[in-house]
Amino acid sequence: MTLENVLLVSAALFAIGIYGVMSRRNIITVLMSIELMFNAVVIAAIAFSRFTAPAGLVDGATPVQAASVRLALTGHAFAVFIIAVAAAEVALGLAIVFALYRARETTEITDAAVMKN
Amino acid sequence: MSETLAVSPVTEALFWLFSALAIGGAVLVVTVRDVFKAAVFLAGSFIAVAAIYFILQAEFIGVVQILVYAGAVSILIAFAVMIIADVPGGSRPAKGRILAAAAAGLMFAALAFTAYNTGWTDIEQVTDENAVAGLTGAYYEEEPAGSEDDSESAGARVIRAAEEGSEGARAGALIDSTGTIGTLLIREFVLPFEILGLLLTAALIGGLAVMRGVRTTDK
Repeated sequence: MTLENVLLVSAALFAIGIYGVMSRRNIITVLMSIELMFNAVVIAAIAFSRFTAPAGLVDGATPVQAASVRLALTGHAFAVFIIAVAAAEVALGLAIVFALYRARETTEITDAAVMKN
Repeated sequence: MSETLAVSPVTEALFWLFSALAIGGAVLVVTVRDVFKAAVFLAGSFIAVAAIYFILQAEFIGVVQILVYAGAVSILIAFAVMIIADVPGGSRPAKGRILAAAAAGLMFAALAFTAYNTGWTDIEQVTDENAVAGLTGAYYEEEPAGSEDDSESAGARVIRAAEEGSEGARAGALIDSTGTIGTLLIREFVLPFEILGLLLTAALIGGLAVMRGVRTTDK
């Protein structure tokens, strides 16, 4: 398990998400694929936190700043932000799916090309 | 770097196992025709990803993943599928499947190439005793010498490795990730953090507004 291995898993999940977004017609499946891509990005952020270090720690600067040590977990903070944004995205996305279903009785992307009712 | 971050063979095996589960679940999500089954596989994939976070020593993110994704998002999607119930044909594939597969393959190749051909700053390069303690061991934070009367030096505190067996020392950032994330969010990332709260409120209100639908005002 090295940084490259974890990034490879992340890349695989991201590619599957792209395939899902492009190859499916049901809006809910497309939303699920987008969630897969969010997950892939979070895995990459966590992997960078775990396997790389901020420059302030590597160059042997003395004394070691407390902020540099905290910034080693920047990836975790990014993960918190990404997860929160993804939660907001899926809530809004499903609200739009409901609105579309009520207006058109459909959940197919190709039927949603017109925004006006 | 200390042995705390060394990867044991068991961890290694678990990582590949959960990676396989996450990727397998994801493949089923995008290939299976029944939308409800896809939602179930998605929840499975989320849980496998949470396990990967635990393996990568991100306990807090792992728990958040289970709460938010495996809990809230999966249930939300399952409810959406059940309420809409518009799945006689399931999720029919679109026309450009070959194009989609090509784009996904190309993206994977580009990401893998970047991962293996970039000189990442490896955490093993951290050799300073105090820095290692700050990341994985026990440490103290203290004011730098000669700045006791400077009230604005709180952000410029320095790290000292704790003596073995001494009390009151804090665990290293990678070990005590939850506490460090909390400090990070209210110090370095306080503005994004506040904006995030605003975004969540706006998404909540916006979601409700969209769900209620546009009613004609003449009653």
